[in-house]
Amino acid sequence: MKRYVVLIAYRPEVWEAAGPTGRQEYFDAHHAFERFVDEHGTRLYSGALCEADTATTLGPGRGPERVVTDGPFVELTEQIGGYYDVELPDLDTAISAGRLLPADYTVEIRPVLTIEGYVPA
Amino acid sequence: MTPDEVLAAAVREEWGRLVALLLAQFRRLDLVEDALADAVESAARRWPADGAPDNPPAWLLTAARRRVLDRLRAEAMVLRKEPLMLVEAARPTSGGAVMADPGGLVEDDRLRLVLMCCHPALAPEVASALALRLVVGVPTADIARLFLVPEPTMAARLTRGKRKIVAAGIPFGVPDASVLPERLDVVAQVAYLAFTAGYAPGSGPDLLRADLSGEAVRLVRVTLAMKPDEPVLQALMALLLLQHSRRDARVGADGRLVLLPDQDRLRWHHDEITEAVALVAAMPSPVRSPLAESYRLQALVAAEHATAPTASDTRWDRICDHYTALVALNPSPAVRLAAAVAVAERDGPRAGLHELDDLDHALPHSHRLPAVRGELLARDGRRREAVKALDLAIARCRNDVERDHLTRRRDELRATIDQ
Repeated sequence: MKRYVVLIAYRPEVWEAAGPTGRQEYFDAHHAFERFVDEHGTRLYSGALCEADTATTLGPGRGPERVVTDGPFVELTEQIGGYYDVELPDLDTAISAGRLLPADYTVEIRPVLTIEGYVPA
Repeated sequence: MTPDEVLAAAVREEWGRLVALLLAQFRRLDLVEDALADAVESAARRWPADGAPDNPPAWLLTAARRRVLDRLRAEAMVLRKEPLMLVEAARPTSGGAVMADPGGLVEDDRLRLVLMCCHPALAPEVASALALRLVVGVPTADIARLFLVPEPTMAARLTRGKRKIVAAGIPFGVPDASVLPERLDVVAQVAYLAFTAGYAPGSGPDLLRADLSGEAVRLVRVTLAMKPDEPVLQALMALLLLQHSRRDARVGADGRLVLLPDQDRLRWHHDEITEAVALVAAMPSPVRSPLAESYRLQALVAAEHATAPTASDTRWDRICDHYTALVALNPSPAVRLAAAVAVAERDGPRAGLHELDDLDHALPHSHRLPAVRGELLARDGRRREAVKALDLAIARCRNDVERDHLTRRRDELRATIDQ
């Protein structure tokens, strides 16, 4: 099994314009994704994120050197709307899963790295 | 055969199979290729003295396995752990006996290798380099020459590709029947990219690079042998053979580009043309997959050229029909430009010029569009306008060989106006 974070980029205005039926389609697509992952691997974590304008960014630096600014890393028309942290057999399975997500999403599949010698505290 | 020839033949025929077997066993993309290259090197040293072994690929496999095991032992000593490639769980394990029985299992491994190298998650230029290196065993230096990049750049590209395969978890496996057709489409596109690279005019010796395109033809041949009923591979095989069959006739003794109507047809590879024509004739018409159909129609056009006894015997009426179907399938400006040329050949320059009318906004930087327009205007007797169009083509053209050709043509025309 391999661990992937599936990042979802979406356009907030598309989601906002979706009526109750539209939203149900989003939910159905997420359910299809989740069931597929459960069938082929494991769902570890997931989260839907608040809009990018609620984000706070800390610049590089030590402690108080980090400058606090309003907004996400990068301003784009698409923004990260959520993520799934999953374990699946391989990239092909992850692609098949990602294809089940709502059609207007852009989906990034990022393998999770195990850092040699690092043990979480 | 001398031992050297036996080795060259074994490398040529068996490289991909050996890589596939080693990957299936060790799952270490970073070790397998080097181990096999080492095995070939040691064979090159020992076979001339000891004589070639009875079973050359088995010898190479054993030697390569020993190299991989040495490396694994060395790593175990320093406790370094490299990530393993992902191999389908359901895959039967292949042992040492496999070489003696080259049945379906082995062919499956080679298909896994092709699909892994040509994965859509790899950039096309990375995928085509990997496929040439791992499946057909083309040396890195030759791949670099094919793609017109320095060898270290190509070596880095191959390394990056292998790293992505392992890190992203691109499997060494054959996907479900529901996904396989789209994956074979990617294989075809990757092979086509490698093929066309050899024909992209470069600064180096052109003919040599056209020969390297033959390695892409071999990649398609290997894949077609495993999936003989796959329309996209049949059509691509036919198309590539037809294009490649003209390689010896397209550069003149003076190094200049020789255009199709002026080529010496005796120098075409007629055995390849025969094979391609038979392949495309056996295909249903039309085929369902759009990519396969597009290759099939292009192959039909190429077949008309290849089977015309002389340039003036070319059946432009049939070529126009194929282009009509191709434009309906893929109305891209490049296809429409080619179709316009065919119309001009069938119905005269004015009909062709008419077809070019609405292409300017779609091809604002193309040198081919004004080049074609200039040629058709010249044929229509409108020489001043033709010179103007060729001036634009020359200004836009970025390739030396083609620009020389256009410049000569324009100067000829201009001379006839001045007289």
